[in-house]
Amino acid sequence: MISIRSVSLIYPNGVRALDNVSLEIGKGDFVFLVGHSGTGKSSLLRLLYKETVPTSGEITVDGIRVDRLKRGRIPALRRHLGVVFQDFKLLAEKTVWENVAFAMQVTGAHSKEIMREVPRALDLVGLSHKSRMFPGELSGGEQQRTAIARALVNHPKLLLCDEPTGNLDPSNTTEIMELLLRINLKGTTVVVATHNQAVVDRMRRRVVRLEDGKIVTDEERGYYYLGLGQGQVLSG
Amino acid sequence: MDWGKVKFFLGEVLRNFTRNAGMQATAIGTVAITIILLGAFLFVRATLAGLGSDILNQIEISVYFTNDATTAQEDALRSTLAHDPRVATVQFVPRKEGLAELRARTNGVIDTSLLTENPLPDKMRVRVHDPASVPNVAAKIRKMKGIGNVVYPQTVVERLLQLGGVLRRIGLVVIAVFLLVAGIIISNTIRLTVFARRREISIMQLVGATHMYIRAPFICEGLLDGLAGSLIAVAVLAGARYMLWPKLLLALPWVQLNASVVNGPVLVGQLLLVGGFIGVIASWISVGRHLRT
Ligand SMILES: Nc1ncnc2c1ncn2[C@@H]1O[C@H](COP(=O)(O)OP(=O)(O)OP(=O)(O)O)[C@@H](O)[C@H]1O
Ligand SMILES: [Mg+2]
Repeated sequence: MISIRSVSLIYPNGVRALDNVSLEIGKGDFVFLVGHSGTGKSSLLRLLYKETVPTSGEITVDGIRVDRLKRGRIPALRRHLGVVFQDFKLLAEKTVWENVAFAMQVTGAHSKEIMREVPRALDLVGLSHKSRMFPGELSGGEQQRTAIARALVNHPKLLLCDEPTGNLDPSNTTEIMELLLRINLKGTTVVVATHNQAVVDRMRRRVVRLEDGKIVTDEERGYYYLGLGQGQVLSG
Repeated sequence: MDWGKVKFFLGEVLRNFTRNAGMQATAIGTVAITIILLGAFLFVRATLAGLGSDILNQIEISVYFTNDATTAQEDALRSTLAHDPRVATVQFVPRKEGLAELRARTNGVIDTSLLTENPLPDKMRVRVHDPASVPNVAAKIRKMKGIGNVVYPQTVVERLLQLGGVLRRIGLVVIAVFLLVAGIIISNTIRLTVFARRREISIMQLVGATHMYIRAPFICEGLLDGLAGSLIAVAVLAGARYMLWPKLLLALPWVQLNASVVNGPVLVGQLLLVGGFIGVIASWISVGRHLRT
């Protein structure tokens, strides 16, 4: 589903966010992306839907050479992916319902379809009762769940989640992770960048660890901290 | 037809349109002023052109044959002219009739009975469709055999044709400047709405909206600006036309003004079209500039 080959990313201000990164993610995989703050997790995800362009290297998503993709083709790429942004990116002047519906409207979906899918997505994240509220009237966790509903509503083949549980309490976190698992079981590839140790350690999925823009480990059933279980002390 | 979609789209347009009411009013006002000037200009130009062409259309070429011109030569000219598409009418005035005409025209001041023989040559009056072709047709006639004098009010034709050309050129420049100014102001208005919504636009792009999808409401906004402005302008122009025209006729009684040379509905249609067009172009450009970066 995702193939990243020797990708480096240097921002215009000179920051080297990714350094010769190579990564393969198969169809239907569930992958955690971990690492300290500022190691390039968000940058890596942004490359996949071409919000950022790599300085060098090749990126293929669902058979599409993203690094070479023409500007006019970007919308089509993004419609096949769902993205939960680290900063949510909700529209303040639209209600929860409208924010989710919006992601379908831009794809030209029929309004009948929108009327059917939006309540489903809101129900999945447990926000049906707040569908008429505006983001400003929601808690951080509720905004996050709105963002997740929007990412899901188009039934994407690939779901990219940047810190999707950052603002959720433990029970919400569990619910959302179970939701992501269920979606994954239906065949959607899921990539989650996270700082949530409990989630990573409980789920025992593939863990890709970034450090200073480089992939340092890639474990099939990993933990949040490298070498956990070999007596290493946990902190923070 | 997906009414949900239509409703959503119209909602977006309306929201944009009402969000920045002050700026919107400025844009509409500018378009209105531009279109008023444009409309007044077109009206005046058409009236003047009508005036000029009234005069020009009455111009005829008088062809005098030489005294020894043969009937065959006269017939040759007649048939040449009959085959010339520029020529409208040809009237042959034999010398006898010419004398009678002269007598009538001079009211007997010239006593033609004193003449022992008719000094007038045979004559032909030629009228053309397009006044601009008068000099060429006259030159062509001059080259034929048996032709004496060929006369037409040369300076009048030349001056009027020149005036028409100058008016047309000035008109084009004036119109171009008007349109440019209106376009720039609409484009600035749209740029402000685009700027106010830049976060929304970037989010739209992130969830996969095409440029066309993002553009459409803004284009519609520009179209509304343009149409609203030109509607106001048309109303003002129509009011002015009905209030000022009778006064103008009284003030300039010696000028044969003719309002019917201006086709009202066509002019209104043209003005609305121009207004809508600059609205669309201006917003297209300003949204496009934003999307490219
Ligand atoms: N738009 C940008 N322009 C310049 N530098 C940037 C930009 N975005 C990120 N960076 C830099 O790139 C590096 C990686 O940032 P990134 O956001 O990918 O980190 P992250 O792993 O997602 O961090 P966090 O866990 O805090 O979200 C950081 O040093 C950051 O300062
Ligand atoms: Mg990040």
